Amino acid sequence: MLKIDHLTKRYGDTLAVNDLDFEVQPGVVTGFLGPNGSGKSTTMRIILGLDRPTSGRATINGRTYEQLKAPLREVGALLDAKSLDPKRSARNHLRALALANRIPQSRVNDVLEFVGIASVAHKKVGGFSLGMSQRLGIAGALLGDPQTLLFDEPVNGLDPEGIRWIRDFFRSLAKEGRTVFVSSHLMSEMAVSADQIIVIGRGKFIRSGTVDDLTADAKGTVFVRSADSARLAEVLRAARATIEPVNDSGLSVSGLSSEEVGDAAFAAGIALHELTPQRASLEDVFMDLTADSLEYGHHDVEAAP
Amino acid sequence: MSSSPTLVDTTRSEWLKFRTVRASLIGVLTFLVLTVGLAVLVSFIIKANWNHRDPARQLVFDPVATSLVGVFFGQFAAGVMGARVITSEYASGAIRTTLAAVPRRVHLALAKAIVLLVTFAVLGEVASFAAFEIGQLIYKSGHLPTGSLSNSTDLRAVVFAGVYLTLLTLVGYGLGLLLRTTATTISVFVSILFIVPIIVNFLPSNWQDHITKFLPSQLGTSMMSPDLTSQAFSWGVSALLLTLYTVVIVAAGTVMLVRRDA
Ligand SMILES: Nc1ncnc2c1ncn2[C@@H]1O[C@H](COP(=O)(O)OP(=O)(O)OP(=O)(O)O)[C@@H](O)[C@H]1O
Ligand SMILES: [Mg+2]
Repeated sequence: MLKIDHLTKRYGDTLAVNDLDFEVQPGVVTGFLGPNGSGKSTTMRIILGLDRPTSGRATINGRTYEQLKAPLREVGALLDAKSLDPKRSARNHLRALALANRIPQSRVNDVLEFVGIASVAHKKVGGFSLGMSQRLGIAGALLGDPQTLLFDEPVNGLDPEGIRWIRDFFRSLAKEGRTVFVSSHLMSEMAVSADQIIVIGRGKFIRSGTVDDLTADAKGTVFVRSADSARLAEVLRAARATIEPVNDSGLSVSGLSSEEVGDAAFAAGIALHELTPQRASLEDVFMDLTADSLEYGHHDVEAAP
Repeated sequence: MSSSPTLVDTTRSEWLKFRTVRASLIGVLTFLVLTVGLAVLVSFIIKANWNHRDPARQLVFDPVATSLVGVFFGQFAAGVMGARVITSEYASGAIRTTLAAVPRRVHLALAKAIVLLVTFAVLGEVASFAAFEIGQLIYKSGHLPTGSLSNSTDLRAVVFAGVYLTLLTLVGYGLGLLLRTTATTISVFVSILFIVPIIVNFLPSNWQDHITKFLPSQLGTSMMSPDLTSQAFSWGVSALLLTLYTVVIVAAGTVMLVRRDA
């Protein structure tokens, strides 16, 4: 289990991570969602002992990364796929990692085969496409057959087939009982690949839950169509709804439930041709959640001396 | 797969990394060409012009020091190679992958130092002995004065030429740990060896005497010279002092590696 314990990281004036506190459970894929610059990569670097937290800590099964004797046998990570010596071959890169952690050299070929780059393993990684580098990074993460896996924006640079492959792969890792922690700035990506989602904004924890949890309490809109949409709009505005015209006769209504919209129209004697509740899209939910955090962020900045 | 990795494993990993990039081979060849090749070139030129030399200069000809003159060029290749072992990892970002595999940063710093120490001790001695022997063959063929390894002073000079090269490799490495970028590290390395002595030359002469003998380049000269000026330290003190500098720089670099975010 991965535990983030009141983690804070400051770079000069930037508060990159602000008192994050959560746990990542084994057996499921956990998404780590936040807009650009929200502190996802920073959190990942701290988990791996690359950056030192200003306060708090991150532990893997109760120990900090520095305390792991053979870290690659416990935690596999892919942060930046291009963080490799471009002049070294893929195989030699993995062989060096295996040596440093006393992982049998036979694993090198196994993982190269698994990610499908065995045929180019003798080539310098500087010539690899981003997708190939991602696969090599995944091979490196799997090298020590670790229980905990971290991936920072792993679908970047992958083609649709690669994205599907990696989603299935995360699921299978989780099914084996491993802890799988995957970051993304795309809600739509998390919705299909993660079982559990942790949302952050400006370094702060916002919400966590399943996709359904996150969308359930988001306010949706109601789409109505009527021959007399102008009068209908007036009536609904009087009921404190916010109206946006859609096409000629349609209105997108927010602030009222579909029942309330229907009742209001009936009371005013307006015939409705369509009345459809619209669930908030995932991206709307995400924008909603993080827009708030950005606002708080602005206040924080203004309040600072 | 059960036992914990040790410093030996880290060192084996770093050795594999060192020998699996072409830059290392190119660096080694450059080092050998500068250390041996330049000494051979200089020796041939001296031999060719020997009869035109005035007798006073013939008298002060030092066959040992002359055959080892390439050391003062080879040291730059050695320093750059020492630096690049760490700075190239910062440049590519590979340092993060490395540190994720080896979070014990002192181990990592030591492993890299061991790889450089062993490699350049061997290369430095091979190059020094080769330069010396080839130089003496050239002088002998021209009936110039020669040195000999059976002479303990000459032998010591040759051995310490290799030691000097090894230490300067590690100085480059330590500066690389401190400064992180190849360009800055090389600038500082070259400044210490080239520019600082020039600046010292402009100081009042009574200052010069006190400062010059502490400069790494002067320490190198003293380590390789049989006859000493009264202003310089003996070969033994020079070797100790340069070793001390090296240890301090590498230790400071290691502390910075441990302290700073990667
Ligand atoms: N080494 C650093 N020095 C200074 N500031 C940093 C450093 N690393 C990150 N930051 C800042 O910390 C904040 C969080 O950055 P981080 O890279 O963790 O965000 P992220 O969520 O990974 O963003 P993205 O989706 O763009 O990858 C940003 O404001 C960033 O500029
Ligand atoms: Mg990031």
